[in-house]
Amino acid sequence: MTKLVTLTIDDQPVSVPAGTLVVDAAKQIGNDIPVFCYHPKMEPVGMCRMCLVEIGRPMVDRGTGEVLLDENGKPRIQFGPKLETACTTPVSEGMVVRTQTKVVADARREVLEFILTSHPLDCPICDKGGECPLQNLTMGFGPGQSRFLYDDKIHLAKHVPLGELIYLDRERCIQCARCVRFQDVIADDPVIGFYNRGRRLEIVTYSEPGFDSIFSGNTTDICPVGALTTADFRFGARPWELKSSASICTHCPVGCNLTFNTRREARAGGNPVIKRVMPRQNEQVNEIWICDKGRFAYHYTESPQRLTQPLVRRGDGFEEISWEEAYQLAAQKIRASQNLLTLTGGRLSNEDLFNLRELTLARNGQAVLYSDMAGGDLTASYGLAPGSNFGSMGKETAILVVASDLHEEAPVWWLRIKAAAQRGARLIVLNPRSTRLDKFATHTLRYAYGEESQALATFLPGAAVPEAYQAAVQEFHSAENAVIVYGSEGAGLAASQGLAQTAAAILAARGKVGQVNNGLLAVWQRANDQGAWDAGFRPVEDLPAALRNVEVALIAAADPAGDDPLLAQALEETGFVIVQELFMTETARRADLVLPVQAFTEREGTLTSGERRVQRFYPALPPRPQTRPDFAVAAGIGKALGLDLEGRAASLVFLRLVKTLPAYAGLTYTQLAEVTPQYPIIGRSDLYYGGTAYDNHQGLGVQLPLLPAARPVAVGQSQTAASVTAGEGEILLVPVTRLYDRGNTVLPSALLHQRLAGKTIRLHPQTAAAFGLNAGETLRLSRDGWSAEAQVELDEEVPLKMALAVRSTGIPCSALSAVRLERLTVASAD
Amino acid sequence: MNALRAQYPEEVERILAKYPAERKRSAVMPLLYLAQRAEGYIRAQDLRDIAEICEISITDVASIVGFYTLYYDQPLGRYHIQVCTDLPCALRGAEDFLRQLSEKLGIGVGETTPDGLFHLEEVKCIGACHRAPVFQVQGDGEIVFHENQTVETALAVIEALREQARAAKGEQA
Repeated sequence: MTKLVTLTIDDQPVSVPAGTLVVDAAKQIGNDIPVFCYHPKMEPVGMCRMCLVEIGRPMVDRGTGEVLLDENGKPRIQFGPKLETACTTPVSEGMVVRTQTKVVADARREVLEFILTSHPLDCPICDKGGECPLQNLTMGFGPGQSRFLYDDKIHLAKHVPLGELIYLDRERCIQCARCVRFQDVIADDPVIGFYNRGRRLEIVTYSEPGFDSIFSGNTTDICPVGALTTADFRFGARPWELKSSASICTHCPVGCNLTFNTRREARAGGNPVIKRVMPRQNEQVNEIWICDKGRFAYHYTESPQRLTQPLVRRGDGFEEISWEEAYQLAAQKIRASQNLLTLTGGRLSNEDLFNLRELTLARNGQAVLYSDMAGGDLTASYGLAPGSNFGSMGKETAILVVASDLHEEAPVWWLRIKAAAQRGARLIVLNPRSTRLDKFATHTLRYAYGEESQALATFLPGAAVPEAYQAAVQEFHSAENAVIVYGSEGAGLAASQGLAQTAAAILAARGKVGQVNNGLLAVWQRANDQGAWDAGFRPVEDLPAALRNVEVALIAAADPAGDDPLLAQALEETGFVIVQELFMTETARRADLVLPVQAFTEREGTLTSGERRVQRFYPALPPRPQTRPDFAVAAGIGKALGLDLEGRAASLVFLRLVKTLPAYAGLTYTQLAEVTPQYPIIGRSDLYYGGTAYDNHQGLGVQLPLLPAARPVAVGQSQTAASVTAGEGEILLVPVTRLYDRGNTVLPSALLHQRLAGKTIRLHPQTAAAFGLNAGETLRLSRDGWSAEAQVELDEEVPLKMALAVRSTGIPCSALSAVRLERLTVASAD
Repeated sequence: MNALRAQYPEEVERILAKYPAERKRSAVMPLLYLAQRAEGYIRAQDLRDIAEICEISITDVASIVGFYTLYYDQPLGRYHIQVCTDLPCALRGAEDFLRQLSEKLGIGVGETTPDGLFHLEEVKCIGACHRAPVFQVQGDGEIVFHENQTVETALAVIEALREQARAAKGEQA
C-alpha cells in the first residue's frame, strides 16, 4: 500500500497517495485547478503554465530536522517566492496549497491573455465552441479584454489536413502537445510532431499516409482547443445541439463504450442523424480511448443501401411482402422441413441470439456460429475471472499473447496490454511474424504457421522446452498471475480449437483459473462471438456441407456467400434460405426470403465482450419504418410456428435469457446500467481535464462468472504444417486480420477507404520469384470450386511457400490451406 | 537503400558508435549535421534516411530540424555569412557594416545570391564583441571567423570564396 500524504488545499485537508500531483489531489476534492497541457492519462510537462498556484511547505529546523511551530503550535509554512505549477509538483506532507488568492487569479488571467494573443477567437465557427476548455477557462479566469492589438494577430493556415481523417487549424493551436504526447506515449505512433518554435510552431506529420495512426481520433478529444478536428465531424454541428446515446462498439470483441451524438436534420426529413462517435469512459474496458475504426466506421447504419422492406423471391427477382406474410412463409417452410440450420454472425445482440437459439432448438435445428475461431466454451470456464482488468495488471502478471496481431485485431486491448507491459507486466508474444506488440514484450518467440498449438504447449508445466523458449517459459511460470490471449493469426477452426484447449490446459495446470487477473481471452473476429457461444451457437468445420444438407437455413448478420464462393454454391443447394440483414449482401441475393432488420444504433440490447463483460447499448436513432430488431423477427417467425417467444422488447427477452443461460443467471438490465465512480474524473463539466470523452452514466456492465468446466480440458492438437502442405504449383494460404477490413459494416464509411486492406497477397520475394511474379502484379489463386485474383505484395517476413491473405478481402481463407497459385498473364485475364 | 549511409558509410558508423545500440535516436543531431554538409540543407530524403538509421519516426527527425535554427530545411546558399549586430557590435558599426554589405552583395538580409553561393544572415552574439564588426562564414562543414572587418575586407573574403567555389567546380568538370 502506498503511503498516504496529507496536505491542505484552500483550507481543506486531503490525504492522497505519495507521488500524487497537486492538480490531481485538488481534483479529488472537487477543486478544479485549470490546466491545458496536463492530462490525467499522461505524464505532466508544465508547458502551458495555466495551473500556477501558491504552494507552501512546513519550515524545518535544519539542525534538528524538526518542523518549526508558530505561537499557536501550528507548523510554520514557508511559501515560495514564485507560483508553482500544480501539474508537475507532487504532494508532500503538510503542504499548503492556495488556489483562490489574488496572485493566483492574476497569474491565470495573464497566462490566458498570453495564450490568446494570437488565438483567432473564431468560436462562432469552431467545432469545439461549446465544449472548449479554452473557451470555458477564459470565461472563468481570463481577462475581459486583451491589451494586445487585435489587428496584430498573426494569421496562420486554418485547413491543414494531417491526413484525410484529422484536420489542423494552426491558428487555434495553443502548443500544449497533448496530441503529440498521446501519439508518442500512449499510442506509440510518434507520427505527429512540433515543427519550429514560438509563433511559427506548427504540428506536422511526415508519415505516409498522413497521421498514420489507428488512434488518431483520440487527439481531437484531448485537444483543449479546436485545433484538431475530425474530417467526419468538422463543421458538422454545434456541440450543444447534440443529443447523446450510450452505446457499445460492434467492430471487435473489446466492447469499447461509446456515445453516439445525434442531431435532427432537415436533410434527413427532420429525423436525427449520427453526427459523431465519442468514447465513453469505462476504465475497465477502453478507459477514454477508442480506435479510428470505432470512431469512423459507423456510417453503414445510416447507409441509403439499407434494406427497408421484407422481400420474397419471385423468379430471378424479389417482391415486397408484408411482415405477416413473411412470418407465415418462413413458418410454413420451417414446419414443412425436417431440418433447420440457423447461422448467426457475432454482431447480433445477446437477445437476438437467444431468440434465434430458442427458435432453432424448438425445431431441433442446428445453431451455428459463422466464425472460424473456436474456444468459446473454454473461455466460459477458463476465461478472465470477474474483476480482471488490464488496467490493474503490473509486474505480478504474465500476459502471453499467441497467434494474434492485436494491434489489428483488437486495438484497445493492444493499447492496454502495452501499457500493462510498460508498468512491468511480463509480456510474452508468441507469433509467426513480428507484430506491433513485440517492442513491448519481455520475450518474443516465433513458430511456423500451423504449429501454434505445439508452440503454446511448451508452456504446459513439465513440457519439454526448446532452448529458445526456456527463458520465456520460466518467466511465465514465475508470475503470480497468468493471462493467455489467443487470436486467429493464420489459424482456422481446428487450429484455434487446439490453441484454446492448450491454453486452458496450461491455466488449469497452473491453477490460474477463477482468480482476478487470470484466465483465457479469445480475440474474437466479431463483437459478440462470446455471447453467441454462450447462447449455444457453435462454428462447424464443414459449413458448405452443413448448408447443402438442410432444407431451411436461417441466416442472420452473416454473409457467407460474400466471403466464399463455396458457401455461395452451397446456399444454392439449400432448400429455402431466410436472411435477416441490413444490406442486400451476396447471401441475401441468394435468399428466398429477406427480412430487413434494425442496426444496433436503432434499438437496445446487450453484447458480451471478449472479457465476458455484458454491456448494454441504447437506441440512438429511431428505427426505419419497416425494419425490426433481429430478436423480434425471430420471435415473429416463432409465433407463426406456435412457439412462445418474446419479441416485444429486448429487456423482456433478457428476462428469459437469464433464466436459461447459466452464466447470465440473475443478471438484470438495471445491474448492467450501474455505475461506480471512475478515475480520472471526466465529462462535460470537466472538459478541461480529461477531454471530450463522455462520462459513463449508463452502465459499466458486468463481467460474467466462470462456469464450472464440463470435463477436464485436453491438450489440443492443431493441424500441423505437415498435415497441410503445398504441392507443386501451390502455396499455403495464411489468413490474417486487418483492422480496416472490407466487411459489410466498414465499406459504407467512405472516409476510411484509403486505409482499407486491399485485395492483395503477401509473398516472400523468393516465393514470388519462383512463380515469376513481381510486386504489384496480379495473380490467381484457385482451389476446387473457386478462384480469386489478387495483387502481389512482397514481404520478406512471410515464410517461403506461404501467402498472407487478409480476411474479408474476397479471398476465401477460413484456415491455413493449400491453394494453386498462377501468374495471371494478359492472355488469361479474360 | 539508405542514401546517407551509402554516401558516408564511415561517418555514419563513427557517429552511431558513440551511442549505445538501443539508444540510436541519440545520434539524430550529428547525423543531421552530416546530411546538411552535402547540400547545405536537409532534404526530405535525408529525413527518411536518418529516421531509418536511428529507428525513429520521420516526424521525430523533422521536428528536431524544425526546432533548431541551425538546421535548414531549404537551400539557402552554400556559405552562410552571419553578421552579429548585437549592442556591442552595433556600437562598433556593425549595423552600418551589414547594411553596406547587403547593398554590395545586392541581396537583403535573409536572402541568397542568385548564384546560390552566399546567404546573408543577421545573428545574435558570436562572442567577439571587441573585434566588431565581425562575421562568421559557415559552409563546406567549416566555421571561419572574420574580425575587425570593413566592407572591403569582407568583400575580399567573399570574392576569395567565390573563386574557390569556381575552381572546385572547374576541377569537377
